[in-house]
Amino acid sequence: MSSADALKPRQERWYQSKRFRRFRRNPLAVVGVVILVFFATMALMAPSLTADRLGRACLRDLGLGRSQARAVLHSPLNAHFWRAMFAPPKSCYSIPRVGYSPRPKPPSKKYPMGIASGGYDIFYGIVWGARTSFYIGVLVVGVVMLIATAVGGAAGLFGGWLDNLLMRLVDVVYSIPSLVLAMVFASIFGRGLTKTMIAIALVAWPIYARMLRGNILQVKAQDYISAAHALGAGNLRLFFKHILPNSIGPMIILASLDIGAIVITASTLAFLGLGADVGYADWGQMISFARSWISNPGGEPLKYWFVWFWPSMAIAMFVLGWNLMGDAVRDALDPRSQ
Amino acid sequence: MTTFIVRRLLQLPVVLLAISLVIFGMMQFLSPTERAATYAKSEQQAQHLDAIIRQYNLDKGFLVQYGTWLKQVLHGNLGFSKQSHEPVLTTIRKRLPVSAELALYLFFPTLAFGIWMGTMAAIHRDKLIDQIVRVFAIIGWSLPTYVMAIWLLAVLFGQLHCCGIGRVDDAIAVQIAEGKLKTYTGMITLDGILNGRWDVTLSGLKHLVMPVITYTFVASAQIMRVLRSSMLDVLNSDYVRTARAKGLPESVVNIKHARRNAIIPIITIAGLMFAFLLEGSFFIEIIFNFHGLGQWSVPAAVQLDFPAVIGIALLVGFSVSVANLIVDILYGIVDPRISFQ
Repeated sequence: MSSADALKPRQERWYQSKRFRRFRRNPLAVVGVVILVFFATMALMAPSLTADRLGRACLRDLGLGRSQARAVLHSPLNAHFWRAMFAPPKSCYSIPRVGYSPRPKPPSKKYPMGIASGGYDIFYGIVWGARTSFYIGVLVVGVVMLIATAVGGAAGLFGGWLDNLLMRLVDVVYSIPSLVLAMVFASIFGRGLTKTMIAIALVAWPIYARMLRGNILQVKAQDYISAAHALGAGNLRLFFKHILPNSIGPMIILASLDIGAIVITASTLAFLGLGADVGYADWGQMISFARSWISNPGGEPLKYWFVWFWPSMAIAMFVLGWNLMGDAVRDALDPRSQ
Repeated sequence: MTTFIVRRLLQLPVVLLAISLVIFGMMQFLSPTERAATYAKSEQQAQHLDAIIRQYNLDKGFLVQYGTWLKQVLHGNLGFSKQSHEPVLTTIRKRLPVSAELALYLFFPTLAFGIWMGTMAAIHRDKLIDQIVRVFAIIGWSLPTYVMAIWLLAVLFGQLHCCGIGRVDDAIAVQIAEGKLKTYTGMITLDGILNGRWDVTLSGLKHLVMPVITYTFVASAQIMRVLRSSMLDVLNSDYVRTARAKGLPESVVNIKHARRNAIIPIITIAGLMFAFLLEGSFFIEIIFNFHGLGQWSVPAAVQLDFPAVIGIALLVGFSVSVANLIVDILYGIVDPRISFQ
């Protein structure tokens, strides 16, 4: 090794950085990551985990017979395995029904979490519901960040009357209670998972937009922006190369703290009957199956504990995982909380 | 100060107007017939929607429609609610005391508990108490209100037969329905005292136990987090060191010097929490069977009962704006450095 090489500062990898070390050494962060990895594995492996209990429509759309499903979905060498894992047909998200009895059935060997009223297999709903929850949380936050970048970016970049107009819009949307507004949107758009997600995104963006605008105004005043401008950088280049990368950090922290809240909102809407179609694997909806068995169960309220216990635990743990991780991300990235 | 309050009060109608514009704009997604249903004052009128479409210009442009609607509202007609089979304003007047009473009983325990937890966590920073409080708070923060309510309902009410659901015991509810109890405020615990009926008040309080536990656990986390971090800032400041150097007892330093200053950011959080409590208690009302605004407006929104939704949105928007105003005024009183200019 020559002396010149030794003098060169060693390139620091992301996993060697101080920030990552701070994240890794936070015990709560580790717990959060473990919970999320557990749910992610469950979501990804959903077809394999439920291979022997897939519904008829799902098997048809996968092009599999019931007898071969188990063998095929458990072998990674099969093309069907990968297709079911990454692009399962929509029909697989419907919980298969075991009879139509309104009375829940306790856990058994075949149905380890029991059967909810209406014959819904709870284990199937929990496993596929994890997919739904990831889908909702990540996609809604992504869409919200896009809206906020457009609105907050335009307001911060152009300023003037446009800024004023957009920020007043933010104020107004923000002062309408989000749940009521989401309820209104959801009931206007009608039932369905995508529509619910649009409703939540339309409600959640204002606080992001306001925050991004504030950061953009700060960054815009920095000397290096004037320097880039003086070098002849156009508006678009300035925005995407210099302003946005330097002002987007707090918004990402906010987003990681917000995924849990968004999953809660979505499950709340589903609980009210404003979520996905009936029978869709969605934890909030599964809790609503349980409602009539809690307050009026004929003297033995805990007899049907499994109907509400599993879906509510799933939501609580899932949100807890995101919150623990979001908290740790904030602590690691925010220089003030050292 | 007076000019500041007057200026803010003058802004209030503008905010309400904007809220109504947003929601009215959303109604444009609906067909004229569906919108016409929101104008009907009675079941009979709902049978003749064509006449209403013509009368209120529902097939005309947006601004014409909005103007016509606004005139109705300014005359005190918020429309007819399909959900409650009566005018929206009547329903709100009937149900507001129930929700307001619930909100008051939820607010103060949550605030007190959050402040206590935040103080403990900050004083014992990074010790066991701090860790326990933080884990406790983050679990509460991760629970949807309705999930916590359902757990309590199953265990406390279902298994241990404690507390009861609804606002009062059935026997008292019957007496109220028969008119044996005079209604002064519509708030059951207060009316009980005013009637000299302590059993009514006690019954009302008993039925508030589960809602209060639910909301305190779910909502105090935010207050605890903010207070903890602002108190840590203050505990590191010079005047706290000075106070310690003077030899003041630790408890005096913590409570009188540190917490009194750390509590200022709590005012914002608490103000917003109070305003949004109307909304936050919706699920508590639904699950514990309180006949409040939430128990009416949530099914109303699901059924696309638009007059009800607009009514509730205006009401909550109003309370949020007023709460913001009160927060700003309180700021000035608590922290004289803040001026209203």
